[in-house]
Amino acid sequence: MNEIILMTHVLFGVGCMVAAVWLFVDVVNANEGNLARIRRLSWGAAGLMWLAFVVAGYWYVTAYKVDKAIILKGPWPFAHAFVMETKEHLVIMLLLLVTYLPIAASNNLATSKDARKLMLWVTGMIALLALAMDGEGAIIAMGVKVGLLTK
Amino acid sequence: MENTTLSKNSVSFGLALALVCIINAIIVVVKEKSDAVMNGMKKITGHHWTTHTVMVLALFFLFAWGFGRANNGKGTTITGNRLIGTLVSGVVIAGLIIVGFYLLAD
Repeated sequence: MNEIILMTHVLFGVGCMVAAVWLFVDVVNANEGNLARIRRLSWGAAGLMWLAFVVAGYWYVTAYKVDKAIILKGPWPFAHAFVMETKEHLVIMLLLLVTYLPIAASNNLATSKDARKLMLWVTGMIALLALAMDGEGAIIAMGVKVGLLTK
Repeated sequence: MENTTLSKNSVSFGLALALVCIINAIIVVVKEKSDAVMNGMKKITGHHWTTHTVMVLALFFLFAWGFGRANNGKGTTITGNRLIGTLVSGVVIAGLIIVGFYLLAD
């Protein structure tokens, strides 16, 4: 069950990242016709990230200690000491960015160049941070694997 | 006087985001360096990371409210470019503090 929970958080996180990239492209081409979609997608991206965060937070607080012990005893202790430690604190910034997304999207992106630039920067940062979180998660999972393989 | 075509909420939440990202990074350094702070944060919700998250979210909404009340309720005035610069700088600097701390100082 723990593994299902873990994979669910990855699914939601990747969903958020895909939504952010989609939004970036939509905002580049913002007009009256796609404003409603941009706003719905912004809420969708925020919802997906909040789901990823809550699911991951639950798993981190309840189940991670087992994996942490394996990582720290294995050949890749940095997978916790650096990678997980940075991930668990950088992801809070990602949560703030996606929470801000629907607020930034509520401006008239069709007529305001400032609003479009703001959205492009926010969606760009979300996509990059989400990709970094995904990569860090992969390293952490690999840290558990190599720890188990060398037992 | 600088003005913007951005909504009051866009400005106030954007500024709050930049500020709270930096505060988030500072909390990381302080709690990792101080056993008293770490233990205190663990006691509040049972896990230091949960307490950390709750604190950051609370500060985010509090500062957004505060920035929105500036100028007799009209909100903080700032150009779009300056808001974007502040926001991006906040995120990048905070990220560098967190990564740099765990890479070099922890």
